[in-house]
Amino acid sequence: MIVAEISRAEIRELIVLRVGASRAPKKLRVITDMTDFFGVDYDDVALLGGEPYFIRGNEREGRFGIEEQPKFWVKRAIDLRTGELKILKLVFHERFSARVGGIVFEFMRSPRKEANILRLVRGHPNFMQGFAVEDRAGNVIRVIDHIPGRKLHEVVPELGDSHEGYFYSHFPALFEDYIGLVRAIRFLHMHMSKHGDIRRDHLIRERESGLWRWIDFDLNYVHRENFFGYDLFGLGNVLAYITGRGDVTTKELKEHNPRLFEQILEEDLNIIFGYRVMNLRKVYPYIPLALNRVLLHFSQGANAFYDTTDQLLDDLEEARSKLLNA
Amino acid sequence: MEKSSPDKDRHVLIAADKTESSKRAVLYVADFLGGVPGISLTLLYIIPEPPEDYFASEAERREWVEKDEEEARRMLENYAAILVQAGFPEEKVKTLVGPCDLPSIAECILKSQEELDCCTIVVGRRGISKKEEFLFSSTSSRLLHAAKNCAVWVIE
Repeated sequence: MIVAEISRAEIRELIVLRVGASRAPKKLRVITDMTDFFGVDYDDVALLGGEPYFIRGNEREGRFGIEEQPKFWVKRAIDLRTGELKILKLVFHERFSARVGGIVFEFMRSPRKEANILRLVRGHPNFMQGFAVEDRAGNVIRVIDHIPGRKLHEVVPELGDSHEGYFYSHFPALFEDYIGLVRAIRFLHMHMSKHGDIRRDHLIRERESGLWRWIDFDLNYVHRENFFGYDLFGLGNVLAYITGRGDVTTKELKEHNPRLFEQILEEDLNIIFGYRVMNLRKVYPYIPLALNRVLLHFSQGANAFYDTTDQLLDDLEEARSKLLNA
Repeated sequence: MEKSSPDKDRHVLIAADKTESSKRAVLYVADFLGGVPGISLTLLYIIPEPPEDYFASEAERREWVEKDEEEARRMLENYAAILVQAGFPEEKVKTLVGPCDLPSIAECILKSQEELDCCTIVVGRRGISKKEEFLFSSTSSRLLHAAKNCAVWVIE
């Protein structure tokens, strides 16, 4: 499809319309090749598929215990035609090994994977929305709708005054949402796709709709025999997080409840992150057995692991029915 | 499982990768079945191609696959020589190297088992930690759970 070129004059007009004349840059830089993402800067205009995006800065993220760092390949931008805030994800051919709980993983950034998933999940309420477009150099740029809202780890700690209060008043609805989110991942898996980076800060609750959406699926991992393994591990961690109203760690227990700490065995701990307690019923005895059993599948004491989201969902449905009947 | 007839060999599939456990599996078969009549063997190597975008370019991917395939063929030829030396007729020891479009190596092996009409799969067990088993699973465990209409020998 041939897209009519927008002129520099039109771009300048749109910038003034969106941010006002005083904030319009004196010198306009229009970029059509995003290969050098360090060189795409504040006040630049990215021209993608004939559409202009006004760059407003870089996103930031923490990873593997390192505090938030700027992600120079991820830019905030204003769609100059519509005024909507977008996230532009540029191409960064990153391939790295990382230790996750002592296990070495091979990860790689996968723009094509994310582009494919965006196509697959178009209109799905539990995923971020966007599309992919190639720049002039053939880089696959993802243009993502910004989601105004808060991440899971920002929402959960503020729910309820105590764990018990949270568990009875807020957890049932959150658990219901969580099951929906697992179904969303199942949808990906059924189409032989992985999220690749399931974690609590990759879930945003959209302010207006209240919908939870998965974000950031551009990371891929070498999966060896189990295509879904790392995704399932991520889902287990999220479940433990929402059930515990945060991480319940051995350090915390030792400090605040040494008698309880003495009762925690190695088999009660997360199979990968050995400082996190998965046998949460030992800490919060009102957690139903059926729910606790799901958590224990991710513990060092587990004899069987979930291979698929279907298996996890079966057990979650059982846990939900016990929760409703409690 | 269909019984072998005097005219039909029992076809055994040895699934190999580049680890020492595969060599142990081959040596076991050589020792246990070497010289026994009525058995044919296929040594199978599935190319474990990494996911998309592991490679910066199609050229890099092709180079990786070609190199892996070349190394695998040499390895399987060595294993075939071991089996022939153990008493298997040369024409009854075949090698097969190929990619697979299924999500796991175990599924690819099972597909080959079915296509080749093998009655037994032999695979080495690498010995992985519980953590690794949890995250990555293991080919031998998968085969044990999923194999139908055949025997699975897991060699430690």
